[in-house]
Parts: sequence; C-alpha cells; structure tokens
Amino acid sequence: MSSEPIPPPLRYYGAGDPLGLEQIGEVWQRRELLFRFFQRDLLIRYRQVVVGILWVLVQPLLGALIFMGLFFVLGTKASGSNAAYPNVVLIGMLCWQLVSNSLRDATGSLVNYRHVVTKIYFPRLLLPLAGLMCAVFDFLVGCTLLIPTLYLTGASVQWSTVWLCIPIIAWMILFCIGCIAWLSSLNAMYRDVGYALPFALQLGMFVSPVVYDLERVSTSLGPHWQMLYEANPIASCISSLRWAILGTQPPSGLGLITSLLITAVLLFSGLAWFRVADRQLADRI
Amino acid sequence: MMQTVHLDNVSKRFRLGASNEYGRITEAIAGAFKRWVAPDPSLAHAGNGVPNSQIRNGWFWALDGLQLEVQQGEILGIVGKNGAGKSTLLKLLARIITPTTGRVGVRGRVGSLLEVGTGFHPELTGRENVYLNGSILGMSRRDIKARFDRIVDFAEIGPFLDTPVKRYSSGMAVRLAFSVAAYLEPDVLIVDEVLAVGDQAFQQKCILKAKELGEQGRTVLLVSHNLASVANLCTRAVYLREGRLILDSSPSTVIEEYLRSSVGVSGIKRWEQDDAPKSSRLRVREVSVQSSSDSDEAGGEMDIDRPIRIAVAFEVLEDNAIVTSSLRLKDESAVNILWSTNATSMCQRPDPLYGKPLSKGLYQTACTLPSNFLNDSRYFISIALGEKPGDAEIELDSVLSFVVHDTGAMRKEYAGNWSGPIIRPRLDWYSQPMECPPSA
Repeated sequence: MSSEPIPPPLRYYGAGDPLGLEQIGEVWQRRELLFRFFQRDLLIRYRQVVVGILWVLVQPLLGALIFMGLFFVLGTKASGSNAAYPNVVLIGMLCWQLVSNSLRDATGSLVNYRHVVTKIYFPRLLLPLAGLMCAVFDFLVGCTLLIPTLYLTGASVQWSTVWLCIPIIAWMILFCIGCIAWLSSLNAMYRDVGYALPFALQLGMFVSPVVYDLERVSTSLGPHWQMLYEANPIASCISSLRWAILGTQPPSGLGLITSLLITAVLLFSGLAWFRVADRQLADRI
Repeated sequence: MMQTVHLDNVSKRFRLGASNEYGRITEAIAGAFKRWVAPDPSLAHAGNGVPNSQIRNGWFWALDGLQLEVQQGEILGIVGKNGAGKSTLLKLLARIITPTTGRVGVRGRVGSLLEVGTGFHPELTGRENVYLNGSILGMSRRDIKARFDRIVDFAEIGPFLDTPVKRYSSGMAVRLAFSVAAYLEPDVLIVDEVLAVGDQAFQQKCILKAKELGEQGRTVLLVSHNLASVANLCTRAVYLREGRLILDSSPSTVIEEYLRSSVGVSGIKRWEQDDAPKSSRLRVREVSVQSSSDSDEAGGEMDIDRPIRIAVAFEVLEDNAIVTSSLRLKDESAVNILWSTNATSMCQRPDPLYGKPLSKGLYQTACTLPSNFLNDSRYFISIALGEKPGDAEIELDSVLSFVVHDTGAMRKEYAGNWSGPIIRPRLDWYSQPMECPPSA
C-alpha cells in the first residue's frame, strides 16, 4: 500500500534523449549532489594546507609577477595597448587558469572517482562539472586581485562596458563545459587524453593572448590570420574581457562570431557525446 | 499489485580479451555515433535463446534475454553461482551499466547498495562524509538533516563525528557507511551480498533492515549466496545460470533446484585396485557421502534438514577378518567434531557384521548422520579401518568433504547469524506454567 495517491510511472532507463539534453535536467535534479562534490573537492584541496584559501590568490599573482619580471628583464613590451601591463597580464592569467584548471581537474574526474562510478548511478556529468565549479570558484576569488591592481596602476576602468564581463565569463564557462564533456569521457576510455592534455595546455597558453595582448600580435598576423587566431574561443574571451574592463582592442566581429559558433558546436556535441559515452562508461572506465 | 521493476528481454555482453579491442579513439567515436543512428547488426541474434554457449563471436553474454517482473512489496532473492550474471543484473537495475539489448524499467526511486561507503573520502570528517555519501545514494540535504542524529546514533561513532574518516578504525567506517545506507528509504532497494561480509552483528543488521523494508511495502532485490537468508527473507526467488533465468518461483523451490543442479564438490572417492589404500587384510575401494533420503547419486552438497549417509566400501583380502570401521568429522578449522565406530554399544542399532569374521569379498559399511544436526558449513570426513575400535590399519584423513546448506528449515523464526557453533541440533524444549513461584 502506497501512501501517495498517484504512484510514479514505470520509467525505462535512458530511453530516448539522443541530443543529451535530458541529462541537463537530471543534473539540475541532483544539484545538491553537484554542490556536495564541489564542496568535497574544495575541502579536500585545502586539508592539511597551512596557507589555505590564499593559494587561490597566490597562483595567478605569482604567474603574473613572473611574466612581468620576465618581460622587464628582456626589455620587450608584451602589450601593444596603452593599458598597464599588470592589468593585462592578470586578466590573462586569471582566465587562463580558469580554463586550464577546469580542463585538468575535470578530465581526470571520472577516472579518479571510478570506484564511485562503477558502484552507483548518478548523472556522471556531475563529476566533471564539480571540477569546473572549483575552477570557477578559484577564478572568482582570484578576480578580487584585480581591484587593488587596477587601483594601484591608476587604470581607467570602462564602467559602461564592465557589466559585459558577466556574459563573457558565462561564455568562457560554456566553452569549458563543452571541452570537459569531451575530455572527461574520452579520458575514461583512453587514458592518452590525460597524458596529452598538459602538452595541449602548454601550447594553448601561447596561442592565446594570455601574457601578451591582441594589439601586440594583430599587426603582425594580418587580417586573415587574425581571424583564425580569434576563432580560438579562449583568445576571443580574453580579448573581450580586456576590452570590457580596460577598453583595449576588441576581437573582430567575424572572429567573435566564429569563436561563438565553435563554442556552441563544442558544447552541444560534447553533451550529445557524453550521453553516448555515459552508457558504456562503467564497462570501459 | 503494482509492477515496480520490469526487465524486458534484457541482455548484456562484454568484450572478451584486452580492452584495446575498441580500437582508435576516432573509430570509437565514429562507431558510437553510428550505433546512435542504426542498431549494431551483431546484436541481431541476441536473446533469442541460442542454447549453447555464453561466448559467441568474441563476446561474453553475461545476461541473455532476461525477462523479469517484480511487484511492489516483493522481496526477490537472486541465487546462482559465481558468474551466473547476478551482479550484472543488479548493476543493470541500479543503472550503473546499460543493457546491450532490451530495456530496464523501474518505478520510483532506486537505492542501490552494491558496496558500503561508496564515495567515502578519507580526508573528510564523519559528518561531511554522511552528507556526501547520503547525497550520492540519492538523499536530499533535508532528508539527511532530518535523519542525521539517528544515523550517528546507529553508527555509534559519537565523539569521532568531526574527525577525518582516515583516522577511524575500519569497523567504525563500515558502521557509519552502513547506517547512512540504512536510512536511505527508496521505493526499490537493490542489495548485494557483499554487504554481508562484515562481522556477525553487521550481517544481522543488514538482514533485519531488508526485512523491515519489505514490511514497509518497498521492493527489495537481494543477491545472496547465503541461501538461509534467501529462504527466510524473500517472498520469491529466481535462479540464474549462465546468464539465463532458469527458475522463478518460491524461495524453497528455487533453493532446492539450485542445490540439486549445482555441481558442487564430488561426494565420492573411488580407487582402482592398484592405487587403493590397503593393508595386508583390507583394501578400501570407495568412500562416499550423500543425502540419504532420495537419490542414489552422491554429491558433496547437503541440505541441513536431510540425513547424511557416509559409506565406505572395502575389500577383505583374507578369510575370517574382523573389521571395525570408524568415522571422524572435522570442521573447516580441523577441529574434531565427532568420532564414532560401528561397535555395538556406540550404535543406535547393532551392526549385523560388527565383530563377525568376514570371508573374502566386497563389503560396505555406512553411517547415517541425523538431519538438523550439523550447521551450515563445510565438514571433512576421515575414515579408519581396523580390527578393534581405535585401531587404524588403514586411515584416510580428510578423504572427502561436504557442505551443508541451510535451507531455512530451522530458521522460520530467526533470520540472523548462526555461524560459530559447529553443530546445530534440534533439541527438546518445553515450557509450562508453574503452579507456584520457585521457592527461594
């Protein structure tokens, strides 16, 4: 005897959902677990650590300082704009660490939690997403570094466009979701992905305007190459973010559209693929 | 009655051999998207009951065309040998793996306990792990909060609540993990016998919890090697063999069939004339053990509620030999349980050939152990032959072993653990009202 007046319907697992959109609903239903995974990753990271949460600030700050020092010693300018270099490189470093941390954490997430994945069901997308959430958390904490830096360098902040940071960051996160949907599930089947990733990230840092800016390369690239360069969503994101805050050169319209399209393709194919991969994950992980 | 679980022609296959059979990354992605559009042609003959082997074209069919419906409130026991597909079945129901063919449907919330403490993290404290593990099992934060105190009480870890689990004793960690699971209240609960590997008290808790859930009208699916718990807990049982459903019936019928058809330890040992153990007067030809009631077929698997017949066949090589047979039983830790001979004062009825001079020829002496006497365990038979009781002209130490299965005949009222005692005899008990209170 059931106390509920209407019993829940008999549901068949995984019926339909070829586009992988239903799993988003599932993720939403289990958002508490997502938060739990996120909380766990966060707690574990700072257990037995003395400086604790300050590590989040130290990493982008040190990264920025190293490149500031490097270009000072080399005597070259890495920035082609009028904006102060510390601001330029800090925005670049923060964004880059968001991308590289989320890709790194999320790619290994399914394999690291293999013992959970093979013992119980939950939307598997939660695991890479929790890794992403950690990276986003770090990013948001790290962004507070911008306040003193902008103040100290006396930068003229573009107040009329600063609000655009929010959609730009959202875009960057969606790009990361597309990447991690692909990478985490492929890594579960082919560990090569995990080995190849550090190299890819190293390369990615130099083909994106992380430690230099768009102005510095746009003249030497020429319009055609610049479009190709901007097709990289990370490049477009960082340039757009700098534009929104510092008023530096924005990416070209065509480059912006191309990179947005690439992001969309990556995101939807990633979700569809993850759905396909999810069905064989426990067998093949 | 409402159907809560439906398996519709479900098959599951695994690739035999190395996992790199899947080929290159690009092929795997292309292949997956191809199957997404059109079904895999190699599945065409799945589940149509090809009678021979589980292995076909390099695939191992762990489950083959399974058809099963479970109604609300049923406690279904799944029995079968290792590799029969029991774990695969549970994983399919728990949605951990997807069927190769067919579909699996479940009504309501599913809770699966295929392992205790899934997702426990050693760096996190007990409190944090309760929340994490509860969430993984499918409880909402509010559910966990409401049950938190009960969970902690049940686990008896009080002062260690805010200590990282890595500092727990293993017993504490298991207790905490189990109590989280115990307060998970799903509509369909899937339990693997691995849960029952803990200590005795822990096993008892598992069993009682499953019983309680069934009484609450939840559906429970239980995989177990412990036939006793199947017999006592379950309202229905299925027997899986080589990925197929052999029998779906009442627990007692299924257990009986399982015991009958499972080819266990051989219950017979025979010797050829040349290599037979012998003395100058005697030669042993055969020792056998069997359930005495029905068949004449010897097997090493016994029901607890059937008498057990142990027989020794020997050849007398010279006339006028006097032969006494003796039997010794040992348990798994080689503790002597009993020693008995066919000497007249040791028998229920006199053995007609005891103390009689035998002429040359073949003889058999048999001893019957009563039903409901041994526990469910493995026992080892030692046989000795000699002229007088205590003589051992020929001694066959641990020559055969047999396993006694608990069929539940003595467990109508008690589902808990019975391991520890070596024997489990049915004894005479009697209670009566007393006329006056016992005097001091």
